[in-house]
Amino acid sequence: MRHGARPLGVLPWTLAFLFFGLLPLAYALGLSLLEFNPLRPDRVQWLGLGNYVDALRSPSFWRALRTTAIFVVGTLPVTLTLAYGVAALLARARRAESFFRAAIFFPATLSMVVIALVFKSLYAEEGLFNSWLAAGGLSRVHFLQDARLALPSIMAMDIWASIGYYAILILAGRKTLPDDQLEAARLEGLSTWEVERRIVFPHVKPVLLFVVLLNTIRSFQIFIEVFVLTRGGPLESTLTLVYHLYDRAFYHFEMGYASALAFLLLLFVGVILVVQRRFLGARAEVGR
Amino acid sequence: MGTPSDRGIATARGGRKRGRPAVGRAPRALLAGAALSLFVLALPGCTPRAPSGRTVVFWQFSPLADIRPILSKFEAENPGITVQVEQLTWQSGREKIVTSIAAGRPPDLCELGSTFLPGLVADSTLLDLTSMATVLRDSLVGWNIVTDHGRAYALPWMLGTRALYLNDDLFRRAGLDPANPPATWAELRHAAREIATKIPDAKGFGMNAGEREILFKKFMPFAWGNGGDILDPTGTRSVMGSRQNIEALRFYLSLKPYSLLDRQEMHEQAFQKGRLGMIISGPWLLRTLPETAPDLHFSVALMPRPSAERGTSASFAGAEVLGIFRTAKNKEDAQRLARFLVRPENTMPLFLATGNAFPAATSAQADAYFSSHPLDRVFLTQIRTAVAPPLHPRWVEIEEIVNAELEEAIYGAKTPEAALDDANRRIAAALTREP
Repeated sequence: MRHGARPLGVLPWTLAFLFFGLLPLAYALGLSLLEFNPLRPDRVQWLGLGNYVDALRSPSFWRALRTTAIFVVGTLPVTLTLAYGVAALLARARRAESFFRAAIFFPATLSMVVIALVFKSLYAEEGLFNSWLAAGGLSRVHFLQDARLALPSIMAMDIWASIGYYAILILAGRKTLPDDQLEAARLEGLSTWEVERRIVFPHVKPVLLFVVLLNTIRSFQIFIEVFVLTRGGPLESTLTLVYHLYDRAFYHFEMGYASALAFLLLLFVGVILVVQRRFLGARAEVGR
Repeated sequence: MGTPSDRGIATARGGRKRGRPAVGRAPRALLAGAALSLFVLALPGCTPRAPSGRTVVFWQFSPLADIRPILSKFEAENPGITVQVEQLTWQSGREKIVTSIAAGRPPDLCELGSTFLPGLVADSTLLDLTSMATVLRDSLVGWNIVTDHGRAYALPWMLGTRALYLNDDLFRRAGLDPANPPATWAELRHAAREIATKIPDAKGFGMNAGEREILFKKFMPFAWGNGGDILDPTGTRSVMGSRQNIEALRFYLSLKPYSLLDRQEMHEQAFQKGRLGMIISGPWLLRTLPETAPDLHFSVALMPRPSAERGTSASFAGAEVLGIFRTAKNKEDAQRLARFLVRPENTMPLFLATGNAFPAATSAQADAYFSSHPLDRVFLTQIRTAVAPPLHPRWVEIEEIVNAELEEAIYGAKTPEAALDDANRRIAAALTREP
C-alpha cells in the first residue's frame, strides 16, 4: 500500500471520532464547569470546579457510586468465570459446535431493552421464576420490589446477557493455541486440568485481560437495565451512577452537574483500568 | 437523494484535481463515502417540509392513525398550512422535548403531560397564552392545571384521572356486594381484608411499590380527600407533615397486609387475571379489559372518602395540554392549530379512538356517548373532584421528595410520622432555594 493511502483510509473514522467523540467530549467538559439549564440558556453561570465539589459532597453521588461498584465487583468475577467455563466446554464440543456457539452468543445480538423487558416479566410476581418457586412449594419472591434483591436480580440478568459474548472472545483466544502444543502436553502425560492450568490459561490471559477491561467499562456504564427494570429503586438500592446522571440531566435539567458526574465517572473508570492493566497486564506478560 | 450523492462524488474528484496525493481505488471510495456522509449529516433535518405554504410542526403522543384524520381536517380548513406531525412516547418524550428546546429547534405546537408543565413554566419556556385562554375560558375545563399566578401557559386538551376498579366476582365470593362499592376508607379496608383473607391466591388492593415516581399520584388522593396537601394555598410553605396527611398515610399503610405490592402494570395484569380485588387506575383499562379478559366482571367507583360525614372523593388530575414554546418558529399557526384541536368536534373523535383521556371541552363532556357508557361517566364525575399538582417552580424537586419519603414509609423504613416530617423539612428547605 502506498504511503499516502493510510491517512486517507482512516479519514472517515477520524472525522467521525472528531465530530461524534472529541467535540462532544470537549463540549461536555466545558458544560461541567457551568451551571447550565438547557431550558434557560440565558442564565448560564461560570462555576469552575463547583459542580465537581457539589458532586463529591453529595450523598446521592456516593450512594450511586457504591451501588455501581457493587455491581461491577459482583458481576465481573462471575461473568469472567462462567464465560471461561463456557468457552472451555465449547472448545471440547465435538458435535453441533456451531449451533452451541450461536446459541451461547445469541443474547449478545439482542437489544438490552428487549432483554430487560423479558426479565421484567420473568421476575414479576406472576412471572415464570415465581411460578417455579410456587411449584416447588416455596413462597413468591418480590425480585424487583425488595430492596435487598433488586440489585442482585439485575446483576443476574446482566451476567446472563454478557456471558455469551465474552465466552466467544475467550474461545477465539483458545483457538489460537496450536493443536500440536496441546497434543505434546497430552503425550507428556498432563491431565486435562493440568493442560488447562499450565498451557491454555496462560495462553488466553491477554484475552482475559481484554474481557476484564471491557466488562469493567460496560458495568460502570450500566443504565438501560436500571431504567427499564427499577428506575433506581426501591429505596435507591439500584441507583447507579449513570442513572443518577440521567436523572439530574433530564429531570432536573442540571446539565452542568450531570456533565461533571460524567467526568468523575470517566476518572474513576480510567483509574481502575490503569490499575487493572498494571496488575493483570503484568501477570499476563509473566504468564506468556 | 440523487443530489447529495452527486455533490459528494464531485467534492472527492475536485480534491484530486488540485494535486493532492494520488489515492487508490478503495481509499478514494472511502473518501467519497465520508464526504457523502458529512453532506447528508449536514442537511438541516431529514424530514421534508411542504414545498410551499406554511408548516406547523406538531409533536404529540397519540398514534398517528388516530390524530392524522383530525389534522387533515385542519389542513382542509386552512389551505396553505401543512401540519408536520410526530408521535412522542411517554417513556422518552420529555427528553426529546428538552433536547429540542436546548438545540433551539422545538416543535411549533407540543402536547405536554401536566407533570411536565411546572419545570417548563418555571424556566419561562412556554408562551403566555392568557389572551387565548380568556376567549376559550368558558368552553374548556382544567384551567387550574395550566395557570400560574393568573397566567395560562397552555390550553387544556384532554383530561385524565384515576378511579377505583372492582372485581365483581371476587367481591361476591368474599360476601361483598359490588353494587355497593366501598365509599369510605373503612369500607375500602374492610373489602380489601375480606377478599385477601377469604379467597386463596387473591389480594384485596393494589399498592404501588418498586416505582417510586408514581407514589405521590397514588397516595395524595387520600391526603387531598382528607383535607391535606403538599403546599399551603400560597405555595410558599410546606404542609406535608400535617395531621390530615399523617392520618391519610396511616390509613393507606393499613391496607398493606391485604395488598399486592407491585408496579402498576403488574397490578393491572393481576386484576385482569382475577387475582386482585381493587386497583386504582385510569380509563385505559375500560378499553383493554374487555379484550384481554372477556370473562372478567368488573365495575368502577369513585375514590373512597375518609368517612360518610367528612372529606371528599379526591383523585389525581392529569391532563394532556397544548403548549407553544417561546422559541417556536411558527407561533401564529401553532395557535390556530391549538384552537382547532380543543374544539369538541375534534376532541371527541380522539377520545373515542384512544380512550385514555377525556375531552377538556365542556360541550364534549355532555356528549350522548357518556349517557350510554356509565363506567366512563364515573371518570367524568371523578374529574370534578380530582386535584392537580401545583404549577410550582420547584415542583420536580418537591415531587421527588414526596415520592422518596412515601417509599420509605411503604417499605417500613420509616413510620408515617417520620416520613412525612422528613418530607416536610426537605420541602421547606427546597422552597428556600432559588428556582
